[in-house]
Amino acid sequence: MSAVHPIGGPIAGPIAEIGETRLLPAHLTPALVSEQVTSVTERPARWGWWLYFGISLLFLGVLAVSVSYLFWEGIGVWGNNSPIAWAWDITNFVWWIGIGHAGTLISAILFLFRQRWRTSINRFAEAMTIFAVICALLFPLIHVGRPWHIYYTLPLPNQMGMWPNFKSPLLWDVFAVGTYFTVSLLFWYVGLIPDLATARDRARSLFRKRVYGFAALGWRGSHRHWRHYERAYLILAGLSTPLVLSVHSVVSFDFATSVIPGWHSTIFPPYFVAGAVFSGFAMVMTLMLIARQVFGLKDMMTLQHLELMNKIMLVTGSLVGFAYATEFFVAMYSGNEYERYAFTNRATGPYWWAYWIMLSCNVLSPQLFWFKRWRTSLPVMFVVSILINIGMWFERFVIIVTSLHRDYLPSSWGYFRPTLVDVGCFLGSLGLFFTLFALFIRWVPQIAMFEVKAILPGAQPNQHRHRVERHEPGHHAPPALASREA
Amino acid sequence: MTNDRVFWRSLEAKAQPEQARERATGSDVVKQSIDAPGLIRLRRRQFLSLSGAISALVGIGCSIRRPVEKIMPYTEMPADVTVGVPSHYASVLTRRGEALGVVVQSSEGRPTKVEGNPEHPGSAGGTDLQAQAALLDLYDSERARTPTLQGAPRTYAEVDAVLAELAGQLAASGGAGLRVLSEPSLSPTFVRLRAALAAKLPNAVFHTYAPVSDSNERAGTQLAFGRPLLVQHRLAGAQVIVALDSDFLMTETGSVEAARGFANGRHMDSAAGKQPNRLYAVEPTLSVTGSNADHRLSLPAQSIAAYAKALAAALVGQGISLGALDSELGRPELAGVASPWTLAVARDLAEHRGASLVIAGSRQPAAVHALAHAMNSALGNVGRTVVYVTPVDAEEPLHFPDIASLARDMAAGKVQTLLVLGGNPVLDAPADVQFKEALAKVPLSLCLSGWRHETGELCTWHVPQAHALESWGDQVSRIGAYSVQQPLISPLFKGRSDTSLLAALLAPAASAVSERDPYLLVKATAAMHGADDERRWQRLLQRGVGPRNVSQITLGGLSLQTAAIQSALRALPEAAQLGLDSLEVVFLADNKLLDGRHANNAWLQELPDPITRITWDNAALIAPSTAQALGVASGDMLRLTSSDARSIEIVAWVQPGQAPGSIGLPLGWGRKRGGKHALGAGFDVYPLRTSGAPHFTAGVKLAKLGTRYPLSQTQEHDVMEGRPIALDATLDAYREHPNFGQRGSPDPSPPPLWKTQDYSQGPQWGMAIDLNRCVGCSACVIACQSENNIPVVGKDQVARGRAMAWLRIDRYYVGDDADQPEVAFQPVSCQHCEQAPCENVCPVNATSHSPEGLNDIAYNRCIGTRYCMNNCPYKVRRFNFLNNNLDIPETQKMVHNPDVTLRFRGVVEKCTYCVQRIQSSKIAAKREGRELKDGDVVTACQQACPAEAITFGDIRDATSAVSRAREVDRNYALLAEVGTRPRTRFLGKVRNPNPEMVG
Repeated sequence: MSAVHPIGGPIAGPIAEIGETRLLPAHLTPALVSEQVTSVTERPARWGWWLYFGISLLFLGVLAVSVSYLFWEGIGVWGNNSPIAWAWDITNFVWWIGIGHAGTLISAILFLFRQRWRTSINRFAEAMTIFAVICALLFPLIHVGRPWHIYYTLPLPNQMGMWPNFKSPLLWDVFAVGTYFTVSLLFWYVGLIPDLATARDRARSLFRKRVYGFAALGWRGSHRHWRHYERAYLILAGLSTPLVLSVHSVVSFDFATSVIPGWHSTIFPPYFVAGAVFSGFAMVMTLMLIARQVFGLKDMMTLQHLELMNKIMLVTGSLVGFAYATEFFVAMYSGNEYERYAFTNRATGPYWWAYWIMLSCNVLSPQLFWFKRWRTSLPVMFVVSILINIGMWFERFVIIVTSLHRDYLPSSWGYFRPTLVDVGCFLGSLGLFFTLFALFIRWVPQIAMFEVKAILPGAQPNQHRHRVERHEPGHHAPPALASREA
Repeated sequence: MTNDRVFWRSLEAKAQPEQARERATGSDVVKQSIDAPGLIRLRRRQFLSLSGAISALVGIGCSIRRPVEKIMPYTEMPADVTVGVPSHYASVLTRRGEALGVVVQSSEGRPTKVEGNPEHPGSAGGTDLQAQAALLDLYDSERARTPTLQGAPRTYAEVDAVLAELAGQLAASGGAGLRVLSEPSLSPTFVRLRAALAAKLPNAVFHTYAPVSDSNERAGTQLAFGRPLLVQHRLAGAQVIVALDSDFLMTETGSVEAARGFANGRHMDSAAGKQPNRLYAVEPTLSVTGSNADHRLSLPAQSIAAYAKALAAALVGQGISLGALDSELGRPELAGVASPWTLAVARDLAEHRGASLVIAGSRQPAAVHALAHAMNSALGNVGRTVVYVTPVDAEEPLHFPDIASLARDMAAGKVQTLLVLGGNPVLDAPADVQFKEALAKVPLSLCLSGWRHETGELCTWHVPQAHALESWGDQVSRIGAYSVQQPLISPLFKGRSDTSLLAALLAPAASAVSERDPYLLVKATAAMHGADDERRWQRLLQRGVGPRNVSQITLGGLSLQTAAIQSALRALPEAAQLGLDSLEVVFLADNKLLDGRHANNAWLQELPDPITRITWDNAALIAPSTAQALGVASGDMLRLTSSDARSIEIVAWVQPGQAPGSIGLPLGWGRKRGGKHALGAGFDVYPLRTSGAPHFTAGVKLAKLGTRYPLSQTQEHDVMEGRPIALDATLDAYREHPNFGQRGSPDPSPPPLWKTQDYSQGPQWGMAIDLNRCVGCSACVIACQSENNIPVVGKDQVARGRAMAWLRIDRYYVGDDADQPEVAFQPVSCQHCEQAPCENVCPVNATSHSPEGLNDIAYNRCIGTRYCMNNCPYKVRRFNFLNNNLDIPETQKMVHNPDVTLRFRGVVEKCTYCVQRIQSSKIAAKREGRELKDGDVVTACQQACPAEAITFGDIRDATSAVSRAREVDRNYALLAEVGTRPRTRFLGKVRNPNPEMVG
């Protein structure tokens, strides 16, 4: 093998001259990594986890009740009406899909760009992606009037010769989100295999051995395995990368291809992608700050990681802010009265408050990250990440509801008020998300151990020529590490 | 449609599968699907196993089942019923003193649709909204089902026994102590029987009362000409019309015919064509008529008389002398009214002698009516734009003194027996006559009414009244056309009619059946009106209308009783000073419920009021300036206290166009009895109404209660925001730019994104709606509801924006002055866009274009993503947010049109251009072996429109009415710039302001 690290680019130590520092503290060893990460799944859960899991389950129950009531009575239990046929349902859908973006971005794009700092957070972010996409998929499913006929959207052969309408952006959604979910799940799972094998190897009970053993698909850490693994991971990363751009572009087509002022806009695909990355990073940040506090994973999710993520949020937040400004400019410059009205109405109409919440949360609050002091302050970044989550929800609400509530004919203008069931479905989706997350951090190695090991100080053969690592069983690390022993 | 059906399983298909498939496909959707590559190559078994596996995977857990329903076939087929083929019967309905000839569709023995009878002069094929809603009244499950004696159910045999006993007693006493109270009648049979009863029982007294009637009109002709006559306007010939507090297009008598005439007088085919009419409206509250006026003046109702005098004085100034009246008129100016409103209007009238018309409204006192007659005579309009007709019931008394005298006698114990034949005096008699208290003093009272309402409950006996569609009767229209009211169904709840009750008193049970059976009684009357043999009788029933009795019509030669008019004018009270602590209230015939008789009709309740757009409620209408001065906002609860200390509580509504200082109070709401829809809807204003001032009264104080009341509107935004929506132009602007519509709403004709549908074959359906003809009456909306089984959702759901109407009438206010707005009406339903935005976005192809240019929905395919609703620029798509067809009473299920599916919750629906009518016309044409011809397909809205504003047909046929209408220079497509290429075109409205009054 050449000296090219399979996942992290050319192996080189931090270049002190340009101010680079170590990604991970020096005292970490592969054994310590395995211990710290895997033990979470081995120890009995702490009371804190039970509390968190219990609350999440409670909200999941809210979802079950809300959705059951919704299915029993019909969409009328929500606040949707004519002209606002979509409201919180699609707002939630787009919000969750957006959140689901960071995982793939971190895993795939940063992987391809050889950003090694991603290794501590990619598992986490990918899991979040999958759970967010599950939550997102829930809403298109339940928002239809007759959910028992939802399979009409799938191209199933049938004796009537009826196919879905391939012109409809909603159908594109079905394919785009379906593909994204499938690829993300595969990507996550493939990335998990070596760590599942570690968990298997460390397992003491037969049950754990069997379960993790089954899930690890017979991984033994041979060169052949690693070779296949790296190919597969690279291919999946390559497949995922365009998806990061395509999914939210397609979701944005739901709006961009329509004729409604405020929706009909060519800026939407990049604007939505930037927003998605923005909100996804904010959600990863929120969750990571909690997890690193609760599980004591500060060694692997270092302040440097957090700062790098804050920089990305600053960039994407500013991109989103630029998109807001462009939208306004185009509306005014176009001379189209409906377009102009739609945007003036956003800022000054009955939903002015939603617009200004969106603007202050999304555009103003990340500006704090220009300053290193705030960029590296845990409380500041926690609050800002929450604000961004709120702001991005409002962005979708503003786009969907304020555009619909006053379109062409003033006779048909209306106003949307959510009902308790709307709130229940949204909070319930959070419950679903956090329940899945609770199960994830309890049962799955939440940090990609083998990747972290690969960037440990000890993993750098040309740096630590004299120090010999013993390859312990259960410490699966990539061949770059192993080949050095041979 | 191709007639040579090709089945793909033929030899030909085997030989040339591609070609056969091509020919076998009906629509593009199917074609697209079949041509989808790959999948069609599946073998049958592969296909079955694949679909089985997929549906097993996908369909798990979906277990919502349709309820099991059993259907019963006929065991013996009735001779004249073909299942699926409706029959039509001519009949007649009454509405406020006018007969409305109708043709009723009967499906498998139940009436399912009311349409206007084109042969009937009062209808000419159109109807009003109450006639369209009559079916729901018929099938109302809350109608009284059995006779009751003091609330306890009784049989009809007992009723007959009581009536027979009563008849015996009365015959002995000559009818002493008997009073019969009925509503004004147009039925010669009823009048004949009543006269016979009066002759037989000389001591009996007959009374007539309706809370909203033409009593003042009769008093006016009595005053002007010395005998009671009905006034019949011929609006089509009138070039200049002045409406003095007259809502002749909506709530006044004969509005259907008036709307037709008005629209004809307004119609413009091209810029070079004739001059359209000009309407001046002077009224206290914004009415439908005022909304159509070229100039409208808000004046308190009490000032209308002074305005009429000033206008007459101005006419004198124009050389139109009213003879001896001239000295009585005073000055041609009126304080607070701009001088052109008398001088310029008078000049306009004077310039159109013989082609002008002054109309006094039924709220105005007799003197104003007489003055209007005097002006019309002086202008030479009599015999041209106005004729006078001898009424059927020449003896009808003045209603308010009459009901007051009846109540007095009842209270004094002079009344032993009271028959209330229709009407609801306990609710609607003036408050000061205290009818309810007086009724308690009557030993035996019998009320005949459809519902056990306020009066029915308090009378000793209550007998269910048969609906007009259930009983025999007859009516004479205003201009003397005789029609027979044919029953279409035997009474659902075994009700009786007023004639049958009169007959029971008149003829003892032993007498000949011809004297008791309403059918034979009506037939006997018909014989007197020309249908004197069986053939003519059958002909009368078929046509629905007999020859006009021209002898009743007076074209002229009436001499004005100037002395009487003079003294009546002198006796007119001075208008009281109005202020914030002394307001005027005006009692309005409600646009939907009239006097409250339709209060339990959910269609009418949910129909937005044509002006306020409020559903399920009435409200006190207050001018914006007055409301501001009083600090009152829409939705505030108010207490109104009259000068004689009567008070009501009602919600406020700030209504542009209401006269400052005047409050409009629509009658007939806030019912205490009479069905679940009637209860709790709106506020009862009758307690404020007295027999002395039944139409308007001043000196009313207003107090805010400090509470709010929610009102449900279907349209909450009243202005067009400067957008080209309901386009109009003044006549001059129209002459200058005949295509002002397309200038305002230009069609960019963008190139299509993909191959567009081929519209070059078969009929291509299209519609034209002439905004110049549309008066905004909303009859079309109810017609659509009735035809298309559109559900009612209730006040709460309307407030949530979920009204289901496929066709709505948008109402916009135009102009800067909130107290004097102009109004634009625009009926909007699905525009059937050729480039329909809704179709592209449906993920399941549930909505797509038919080869005939219809934007169709397959309800069974719709999964309810609602994307189509979002992407419809016209917002005409409606979603079944909840199951709106749950819990429909059994009787009410009969109202449904069997040709239109009921929609389940979760699917989107909208106007189909009445596709079921298109299909049945096509089938009929095919059966007759001919091509469809123009006029074969008439949509429900088009049929109902009294003003003929809607044209429908094949736009490929250049000679069709709709093609010609769409070529009128005023045509434009709504929101053409969106590029939807709608099949519905609008023809812009032309306003015809008086140049002297502009600016």
